[in-house]
Amino acid sequence: MSRRLQFVLAASIFLSHGQAQTLSLDAGAVVASDAKATHSLEVYVDGLDGAPALIGDSTFSNGVLRFEPRYPLAPGMSYRAELHKSSGDPIVQVFEIPKTAVGDPTHLEAIYPSADTLPENLLRVYLHFSAPMSRGGSYSHITLIEDATDQRVELPFLELEQELWGPNGKRLTVLFDPGRIKRGLVPNMEEGLPLTPGRSYRLTVSSSWLDAQGEPLAETFEKRFTVTPADYNSPMPPQWKVSAPAAGTTDPVVVALGETVDRALALRLIDVLSRRRALVVGKASLTDHETLWSFTPETPWRAGRYRLRVDGTLEDPSGNSVLRPFEVSPDQPQPPSIPSISYLSFEVR
Amino acid sequence: MPLRKPSIVFFALLLTVPMCFGAGLESLKPGVANLESAGVLAFGPEGVLFVGDSQAGAIWALDTADREPGSGAVNLDAADTKIAGALGLTPDRILINDMAINPISKKAYLSVSRGRGPDAAAVILSVDASGKIAELSLSNIPHSVAKLENPVSADAKDRRGNSLRAQAITDLAFLDGKVFVAGLSNEEFASNLQTIQFPFAAAGKSTSVEIYHGNHGRWETRSPVRAFIPYEIGEQPQLLAAYTCTPLVQFPVDQLETQTKVVGKTIAELGNRNRPLDMISYSKGGKKYILMANSSRGVMKLDVNNLEAQNSITEPVEDKEGVSYETIDSLEGVMQLDRLDDTRAVILSQNGDRLDLRTIALP
Repeated sequence: MSRRLQFVLAASIFLSHGQAQTLSLDAGAVVASDAKATHSLEVYVDGLDGAPALIGDSTFSNGVLRFEPRYPLAPGMSYRAELHKSSGDPIVQVFEIPKTAVGDPTHLEAIYPSADTLPENLLRVYLHFSAPMSRGGSYSHITLIEDATDQRVELPFLELEQELWGPNGKRLTVLFDPGRIKRGLVPNMEEGLPLTPGRSYRLTVSSSWLDAQGEPLAETFEKRFTVTPADYNSPMPPQWKVSAPAAGTTDPVVVALGETVDRALALRLIDVLSRRRALVVGKASLTDHETLWSFTPETPWRAGRYRLRVDGTLEDPSGNSVLRPFEVSPDQPQPPSIPSISYLSFEVR
Repeated sequence: MPLRKPSIVFFALLLTVPMCFGAGLESLKPGVANLESAGVLAFGPEGVLFVGDSQAGAIWALDTADREPGSGAVNLDAADTKIAGALGLTPDRILINDMAINPISKKAYLSVSRGRGPDAAAVILSVDASGKIAELSLSNIPHSVAKLENPVSADAKDRRGNSLRAQAITDLAFLDGKVFVAGLSNEEFASNLQTIQFPFAAAGKSTSVEIYHGNHGRWETRSPVRAFIPYEIGEQPQLLAAYTCTPLVQFPVDQLETQTKVVGKTIAELGNRNRPLDMISYSKGGKKYILMANSSRGVMKLDVNNLEAQNSITEPVEDKEGVSYETIDSLEGVMQLDRLDDTRAVILSQNGDRLDLRTIALP
């Protein structure tokens, strides 16, 4: 039934005492016709026992009492409007607001790091969804299961009330509990790392997770991976191998990073500068399980020297940044001071 | 009682005069406060409410104009259902993000997301001693805003499309004219504590310090702060910070403002499988305590009478160590807490499938 038709039907229902007094919806407001200034109009979420009336403003004019809810009546909800007169039972009308049309179900598009071997001290995982998701209780939909035993790993993640969603609601950052990853801390000593080298795991994202429209995911998603020994080493830009493109083309400059890097940070923190230090406009991407960074310029390369600019806060998936490893021992010799920005030159011919 | 009325008027005048001219209220300008999200809350002077807006990467100062002294207890059973109803939704379609008590009126203020998607409306509500829910209108409210440091330059955004980086603000506190903000990025694993002067400067610039906890065994570690409170040890103002990985660490406030990197002193290890949620400090029977709500170890009452003499924990510990505490068994499912007065606190706690707002006696 169309929304408009439903409203018309609701508006045409004759209510108590044979009176032709009607309650109807009009442009998101609830309206009582043939009302008096002494009447009051209240709107409730239907079936929500004990809840107060919706916040909003009532106005009276020319025999019409109008209630404008402070927030719009929401799709998929039922509202109970009550017109209270000076005496007698209130006139009650329930309005159902139709759900908005649902398109293709939302699905999990990718999990990063994308490799099927991951270090035991893995810190950060990104879940990418095809549409905005609902917030709150997200961790209950993510499970980590050890393959051989089929046992769930208990509390592997840092469960934050302030869930780490990207502004568009389509990417969630999941952190493995740093208390368990860091050596010398109680959780680490008592429970060990959540992941054990040599073992295989399944990271499962349940279809019960609701998107921002309140609809479940298309299907449950599973990522299988095997665990390798811990990675305590920082990304090392001086050791990266740059393959320069040819002048006059828009072929990408390709950089072999020698290890998997954090995808979000690599896309944000590596830039190409022209000889005049201007930022080259183009599109960066990561392939080969985030070990190859490439950059395609919008306009063809000119012959000459270019530079890659790498921000030192670039990390690998274990939280080791260019500037410092995730953990530093004060007993160890201090690493040589690393500039906060690294530059790598390449020549376009 | 003919004498009483004038005295009330006199005291009311005493209270209102400094309110109008001091405490930064004059820096708040009326207009629309366009909050993108409403997260952590803290009250400043004279009914000024600070709101952490993670989505906008900003701290808002809002004049609640709620300066009528009150003393009543706040109690609201099934607060989530009632708040959802007032906003026209069912409780599964809202999120209650934080709760703070206005120290003057004693009303509870709650930050709420109306909706669960990225377009959810940011709502600030108050609950008074009668259980009445009222919305703090943001459409014409004296306010100011301070943007947090954001390493994503506008330059980078323009060239690469919108950045997905966001800063989750995990806690904030007001002390001596400054707002302290702890946050956690959804990309790099940094642990910065930002300090913002209030009244906010025109540019609203913050200073940022990288903080570390002390040496756990051998490892100097950085980790995001989960919750913190200002606290005086001896006569020196400190921040007591509870970490995501359970240690309790103290930082001298003056160092946070003058240095770029501060290593705090670890004064307690509070055990595994635990995440601190919220903290308050109070005195009872001449002794000082901190009450800390946790994700899985219940509510802890920490004895903080001898913090000056507390040694830094520098060796790995087997379970818990440092400051002693007892677990308050009668308090279950506590997610938020704030002090109501010298003897009472208000808690927001999970009770079965509902959230209750309750006033309790400080243990």
